[in-house]
Amino acid sequence: MIAEASPVSHILPLLVFFGAIFALTAVMLGGAYFLGQRHRTPRAEEPFESGIVPTGDVHLRFSVHFYLIAIFFVIFDMETVFLFAWAIAVREAGWTGFIEALIFIGILIATLIYLEAIGALDWRTRRQRREADRRQHGSDACTGP
Amino acid sequence: MHSDALIALLPFLMMTATAVAAMLAIAIRRNFALVNGLVGGGIVLSLLSLAPASHRAPVQVTELLRMDDYALFFIALLLLAGLAVLGLCHDYFKEREGQNEELPILLGTALLGGSVLAASSHFASLFLGLETLSISLFTLIGYPVEQRRSLEAAVKYLILSGTSSAFMLMGIAFLYAESGELSFGGLGRFIASEPAMNAVMVSGVVLIVAGLGFKLSLAPFHLWTPDVYEGAPAPVTAFIATVSKGAVFALLLRLFVETGGYGFAPLRPVLSLIAVLSILAGNLLALLQTNVKRLLAYSSIAHMGYLLVAFIAGAAIAKPLVAESVTFYLAAYFITTLGAFGVVSMLSSAQLEAADMALFRGLFWRRPYLAGTFTLMLLSLAGIPLTAGFIGKFYVFTSGADGGFWGLLTAIIVGSGLGIFYYLRIILAMAMEVEKIEPESEEKFVGLQSAVTLVVLSLLLVWFGVFPGDLIPYIHALAGSFGK
Repeated sequence: MIAEASPVSHILPLLVFFGAIFALTAVMLGGAYFLGQRHRTPRAEEPFESGIVPTGDVHLRFSVHFYLIAIFFVIFDMETVFLFAWAIAVREAGWTGFIEALIFIGILIATLIYLEAIGALDWRTRRQRREADRRQHGSDACTGP
Repeated sequence: MHSDALIALLPFLMMTATAVAAMLAIAIRRNFALVNGLVGGGIVLSLLSLAPASHRAPVQVTELLRMDDYALFFIALLLLAGLAVLGLCHDYFKEREGQNEELPILLGTALLGGSVLAASSHFASLFLGLETLSISLFTLIGYPVEQRRSLEAAVKYLILSGTSSAFMLMGIAFLYAESGELSFGGLGRFIASEPAMNAVMVSGVVLIVAGLGFKLSLAPFHLWTPDVYEGAPAPVTAFIATVSKGAVFALLLRLFVETGGYGFAPLRPVLSLIAVLSILAGNLLALLQTNVKRLLAYSSIAHMGYLLVAFIAGAAIAKPLVAESVTFYLAAYFITTLGAFGVVSMLSSAQLEAADMALFRGLFWRRPYLAGTFTLMLLSLAGIPLTAGFIGKFYVFTSGADGGFWGLLTAIIVGSGLGIFYYLRIILAMAMEVEKIEPESEEKFVGLQSAVTLVVLSLLLVWFGVFPGDLIPYIHALAGSFGK
């Protein structure tokens, strides 16, 4: 109530606080900028890694499969969320609720069958799969030449 | 009551079952024609199930859905449009590399979303329907993954559509915070009992209008339209232009009538401004386009502007007349737009999307029937008599004139004048004599299903243009029962 009655006095400490943060940051960054020495050599641009020369690039490429699996996880996780909600009210929902839950689960099972059939749950990359296929029924082809 | 509700919901249940069945069919055997036939059969079954549903109409199925004549008519319209798009898709995608079998399923789910929109009488079903529709559309737009433009269009649509959905959710949240109601009827009662709207309600309404304006690509929210229309495969573009917009417009009208949004005076100038901007921006930007798909995109912005004029007129005239005008206009617009994009889709080959105006030069001499169909569709878009587009525009004029919205009517006249210029420009290009017959090895790609679709659409276009009396009684009946 006091806060609502006098908002200005309430805000003042906050403003001082923010002002102090800005001032401090400005002093730290600006001080280093103005007082620090500068030298331009190729090595100076590299990140400092405790004296070890950095290797490689930060732009790592993830297999798209990671995202697929993550999305499937979210989808099927949501299934449980809905089922929990139903489980709490299972008596009140009665047989109608049961049938509805069955349909819901049925559709998800159909989805799972579909995902399995199109190979979306296969962790291997396309190349690995091809090589595995070749190893399986291509052993004679390998020994041929 | 319970079985009534189930029978009324049959069309939705059919469509859902179709999607699941088609998915399982893919799991067993990948075959594009098979899945296409399955989804087509499912759509036909849903159409047939509309008949028993219509005997029970109007039925309020839970608080979410209202299956009345209005909803059933729009569901039928959407399903028929879906069937036409499916036919076009079959010929468009059958020659293409890659796994195209999921495309019909996505069309089915998008149709389901659109149908839910047409029947929704509650903000929850509104949002569910809208998202089912949009999420299917993201994938449909980006379906040819190897093509840059499609991917770009899909990402643009994803981001902008997500933003607009967020706007709309915020608006719904505002309305709910004030009124404690999520059903349209409940909100209407709350608005009627309040003498004046406060700032929170106004912000809510504005946010919802912005969100729906995006989906309809009305003028300040239209920027995504040309890029997405250009990038998406031609049959999918036809789908976005018709099903997605038609469903949202059907919803908009129901939302306004049931919540009494027409009584909210400050919204009128806002909507009028949006309508005028859409008409002018759409037509002006279309003038110098050399890409036919972009041109049709701008023209669709203008057409949504015309439609909005009929909608705004509802503030001054009887609601059934508005429903009648909007419904007829949308039906004519569906036929015309599907036909126009159908021609583009038939001309496209697996290597080249037929969007550049140069490809249409001299089309009359190469593919006379196709060029004739396209001419018919363009004339209908321009609103030339003897086509369904003319009757639609006539309805819009009648509504506007009845309500005395002369400023808006002036905008329509200016817009139509501009429109004739760029529609005729395409027709002229098609009629132009080409000097050298290029040694094009372009094999004449003729798809049976697309051809049948286009013939049916052309016949409907002329039929409803010459004998509109065959369609009007139905629309009149549904409009009469609407909003009671």
